[in-house]
Amino acid sequence: MRYPRRTSARADRFFAGLVASAGYFVLFALAGAAISMFWGGREAITTFGFDFFTSSNWDVGAGQFGAAVAIFGTLVSATIAMLIAVPISFGIALFLTEVAPNWLRGPVAAAIELLAGIPSIIYGMWGLFVLAPYLGEHIYPWVNDNLGELPLIGALFQGPPIGIGLLTAGLVLAVMVIPFTSSVMREVFLTVPTRLKESAYALGSTKWEVAWDIVLPYTRTAVIGGVFLGLGRALGETMAVTFVIGNAYNISASLLEPGTSIASSIANEFAEAVDPLHKSALLALGFVLFVITFVVLSISRLMLRQLKRREGTV
Amino acid sequence: MSDLRLAVNAAAPATGEALTNKLVARKLGFRYGDTQALRDVSIDIPERRVTALIGPSGCGKSTLLRVFNRIYAIYPKQVADGEVLLDGENILGPKYPLSRLRSKIGMVFQKPVPFPMSIYENVAYAIRHHEKLTRTQMDERVEEALQQAALWTEVKDKLKRSALGLSGGQQQRLCIARAIALHPEVLLLDEPTSALDPIATGKIEQLVADLKARYTIVIVTHNMQQAARCSDFTAFMYLGELIEHGITEKMFTNPGKQQTEDYITGRFG
Repeated sequence: MRYPRRTSARADRFFAGLVASAGYFVLFALAGAAISMFWGGREAITTFGFDFFTSSNWDVGAGQFGAAVAIFGTLVSATIAMLIAVPISFGIALFLTEVAPNWLRGPVAAAIELLAGIPSIIYGMWGLFVLAPYLGEHIYPWVNDNLGELPLIGALFQGPPIGIGLLTAGLVLAVMVIPFTSSVMREVFLTVPTRLKESAYALGSTKWEVAWDIVLPYTRTAVIGGVFLGLGRALGETMAVTFVIGNAYNISASLLEPGTSIASSIANEFAEAVDPLHKSALLALGFVLFVITFVVLSISRLMLRQLKRREGTV
Repeated sequence: MSDLRLAVNAAAPATGEALTNKLVARKLGFRYGDTQALRDVSIDIPERRVTALIGPSGCGKSTLLRVFNRIYAIYPKQVADGEVLLDGENILGPKYPLSRLRSKIGMVFQKPVPFPMSIYENVAYAIRHHEKLTRTQMDERVEEALQQAALWTEVKDKLKRSALGLSGGQQQRLCIARAIALHPEVLLLDEPTSALDPIATGKIEQLVADLKARYTIVIVTHNMQQAARCSDFTAFMYLGELIEHGITEKMFTNPGKQQTEDYITGRFG
């Protein structure tokens, strides 16, 4: 019998080439997207220079385009979303892995998966027709009266309680992000070895202490990964935010005021962008969003590396 | 049990003190859901001695250990009945506080499980749950625990490093240090050397011999030589029942029951 050595070596090389090209495809797609957005946006960037990023004047009629309002709205709404979503996701994941009785774990986990599967336009409709009127009538007036008076943070909560605005966008985003962060957290919490948790219980730890001191540090890398996955989604979410953010080009300290985000500006204006400069400005906005997402991911990598170094595992 | 007491006292002439029972189980039963894991187990664990629990896999020896510090209570559907008395107080009673129980009864598991923190913090973490100490007091307590666990000289220059960087044997001694840092009265060791090489195993066994001057030790082991080497008393369990319990030397040379003899001579199990 002959051993088909040469054929198998060739097949191996072929296979290696095949998977390598699949891998490189990602890099090409990424570079291609970044370059084409930058190229498309070059006219706006060359026309306005650095002012494009810092000017808050976005006036289609006057042909003036500054991205500051959209960048501000994107960052603020995503931050609000994460501030709300991370603690809740942590609670959901802990409940499902440590506290909930077995019969409840399956249904709640399935509900979370379903929540992740709801199209964002549904969230947007819900936000506009259900959540925003409710907030405007019942919650924001209260927020105005009570939180608005506080020193320092009071300014965040003053303003017309119309229901739509940055805070509402942040709330809707939080609901959309929770399924992602909580299911990542739940999955990684399940990977914590039972014996590790038992040893902590055996030393007299409570459930909270086991969660905070053992489960969280053990899964930290993956948890931060999950948080940034959610943040990436919050930054780029388009439809739902477009419905509830108000789409007004103004920057205000108040979270109750309407604003806009990069993604919702693009979605709102792309169809009407007949002026090449306008179109170019929108592409440049897309490039900015790309950069923000890239920076966010890089920061998360950097943070993880620093954490590891502090522990001496690198 | 009275002949055990007599035999025990005869076996401990060196100290001349009469043995007291630290931990006493009476008619102890245990269920996981529908599975009866322990049946009617009554056993006396003498103070400051090493008691080995032996028996084939699934005989209930680890379960018995897990009842002694109620670690099973973190799982729903696991139920113990009967009594376990620690210094005469029933620890299975609803009024016995868990944190007190766990500061009195320390446990070391099969595989080394250092927490994902520094060597120092691994030990200090345990203490902080039960006591409020100043920085220097804490330093002393951590050093004392690491000394007693025969680990101090190996780690004293790298206390701030991650405990995950230690070898398996060192990690297991760290876990023992963590348990004894609380000044417990009883130490439960659940097959503490099954994941270790012979040298590390030897160190742990030596440590067990040293620690019995201070602590009441219950060790679960699959290794008959280990039971013979480092225990004063041995209990043989089979299918959730306690078959025989006595002085180790007698158990291994002249067991009272046929099943015990079959097991220790390797005829089954």
